Amino acid sequence: MIQSTFQKIFALRTYSNILWILFLIIPFVKGYCQSTNSNNYFSPDNRLQFANYLYKDKDYLRAANEFKEYLKFNSNDTVQFRLSNSLFKIGRFTEASDNFKGLFFGSKLSEEARLMFFESNFFQSDFNSFRNLADQDVYLPQKYMKDIERLKFATYFFDNTTLPDENILLEPFPVSAQSQIAKFYIQKKFQLHKSPATAAILSALIPGAGKIYTGEIGDGITALVATALSAYLAYTNFKADHQFRGWLFTGLTAFFYGGNIYGSAASAQIYNARIRFDFDKEVKFYFEQRNYFLPQIDL
Amino acid sequence: MKVRLVTILLLFLSINIVEGQDNLSVQLNYANGLFRSEQYYDAVTEYKRLLFFDSTKTYQYEANLKIGESYKAGAKFDDAIKYFSFAELNASNDDEVFKTKTEIIRTNILRRTTERALQLCDDLEKDERFNTKIDTINYWRGWAFMLSDDWKSAAKSFAKINPNHELKLLAERTDKAKVSVTFAKVISYILPGAGSIYTGKILSGFLSLGWNALSGYWTINSFIEKRAFDGIVVGELLWLRFYRGAIQNAEDSAIEKNLEISNKSLRFLQNEYKGTKL
Amino acid sequence: MKLFFLFFFLCVTLLLAQTELVKWESQQMSYELPAHRHHDYSIDKSSLGLSILSVARNAYYFFVSDLDGDNCAFSPTCSAFFIQAVKETSIIKGTLMFADRFTRDINFFKGSNHYPLLSTNKFLDPAYNYTLHSAKIKL
Repeated sequence: MIQSTFQKIFALRTYSNILWILFLIIPFVKGYCQSTNSNNYFSPDNRLQFANYLYKDKDYLRAANEFKEYLKFNSNDTVQFRLSNSLFKIGRFTEASDNFKGLFFGSKLSEEARLMFFESNFFQSDFNSFRNLADQDVYLPQKYMKDIERLKFATYFFDNTTLPDENILLEPFPVSAQSQIAKFYIQKKFQLHKSPATAAILSALIPGAGKIYTGEIGDGITALVATALSAYLAYTNFKADHQFRGWLFTGLTAFFYGGNIYGSAASAQIYNARIRFDFDKEVKFYFEQRNYFLPQIDL
Repeated sequence: MKVRLVTILLLFLSINIVEGQDNLSVQLNYANGLFRSEQYYDAVTEYKRLLFFDSTKTYQYEANLKIGESYKAGAKFDDAIKYFSFAELNASNDDEVFKTKTEIIRTNILRRTTERALQLCDDLEKDERFNTKIDTINYWRGWAFMLSDDWKSAAKSFAKINPNHELKLLAERTDKAKVSVTFAKVISYILPGAGSIYTGKILSGFLSLGWNALSGYWTINSFIEKRAFDGIVVGELLWLRFYRGAIQNAEDSAIEKNLEISNKSLRFLQNEYKGTKL
Repeated sequence: MKLFFLFFFLCVTLLLAQTELVKWESQQMSYELPAHRHHDYSIDKSSLGLSILSVARNAYYFFVSDLDGDNCAFSPTCSAFFIQAVKETSIIKGTLMFADRFTRDINFFKGSNHYPLLSTNKFLDPAYNYTLHSAKIKL
């Protein structure tokens, strides 16, 4: 009896019976696979797939998190680059630059990472440090030297350092852009500012003149009329021996006169601030439109 | 023999499908748990993960709907509407379509794009598929009116559901409690300060009346004493200013009072009302 | 046709910028309608002078400003500007700033100036732009 059963089992030859055995053992095999990775959505490989999808979908905050989880178990330069780039895209520039740094040595993405490292530093808006960084050529990518140089010269438009020589500044930019950048250069170098001191002195001589100097013609005329009228009223009241009213209008005259001198100086400052503000806006728009003359890196 | 082979193959496939689905439903439960515990950002991540691995497209409707609801709970209404629209594209029956459409309407009401919400209500009403759901449409239309401070129209919408509908009564009460802005202005033209008194700002009203009486007296007195220049100056700089001010004030305080009345009802809706809310 | 519009709408929204730059929490939207802005009646207790000034300002609000209508074309109003100016600088400088503001207010053609226009139809003209510290100027 036993022998015949044995014989039966070992005598399995047909195709279907092999399948039967497969069918029986599959759940165990599958169970084993699941515990490692195949259908576990949180396995490193699945996380990576999901992260890449999020990255392409521009959901960078979520993508960064998934990339980080993946990198806990594996190391991969492209993933590291994508993580850093995700952080860059969501404006976490300090973290991004630290992460790009990790790819500087012994990686095939070293050049791109170095470029992005400089970009991350540029967008931290500390332009002085950025220029220092660009001048020491320790981290400079050979492939993107020109791009970083352009970025370095662009920073001169964004803060108040002494501009370098015009020809040196223009040289790395494409010829088509040079005339506009030269215009910016002249505007930046010879910004037409109004002096607060001049405005105040003018207003002290003729009430309202300082305001007219800063372009606020209506305010200037109003100040002149208000000061003159109250001075006239003070004069006539004193003449008519109305002492109280006389002093009242004298005080009012001083009020208008003093306020106008002060206001002229303030007005000149606001004028200058506006010139700077408009210029900064225009320059920023120009460079942003052209992506700061940087190559688009899609990885 | 062949029959046996096919049976085995079928069994083999079914195991795969059942297991695949099982993983997805585990993921769905996980995401739902996050949603229930109000961790909406993480819930969105997990629903997105579910959508990504859902190769059989089993949960497209449900997950997109939940992502929309999560964004709505985080007051990210543009994103919410985007995902509700995705859910609508994946809806498998009219009930699901209706559900997504009402969600879009509710989000529009919260986003204060009332025009859009009302237009969507009209579209739904015209749709023959939803003839049986007219009450729900009117309910949300009423809500759209309430949140845009049009209580009269809100009452009309709720009355279509039931003449004694709780919200119809509330909307009617709110509308009746409001003061008339025009009346407040008109009586201020006749007696400065009266409008403010009518809207409950008694002290302010009397002060206004006092200023008008005083500056009026000064003005008229100046003219009587034949000091025309003084009369014109006082009349222009004081009397006219306070007279105009009284009218403007009456209008402002009437509007403010009405706003208070509306907000009291809206606070009730948000904090105490037991029915379905936005 | 409807489906086409839906697809078009989806494509447009997909092109829109990312809104999730940081992890967000649940946020309940208030059903209430935005309330009117009122005068700030709070009394500044940082110094005796400022306390006296804010009491005087409150009296002005109560007896005059609240009753004579909406006359000031600026935001903040002249009285609020005065308090801000004194707070930012000193009583003397603040008075000079106020005198300048008053002159600008009686200018009939202030619309031709460069003041930013607010949604309330008022010119934005905050005190910090006039302290003579150019770093404080915000346009």
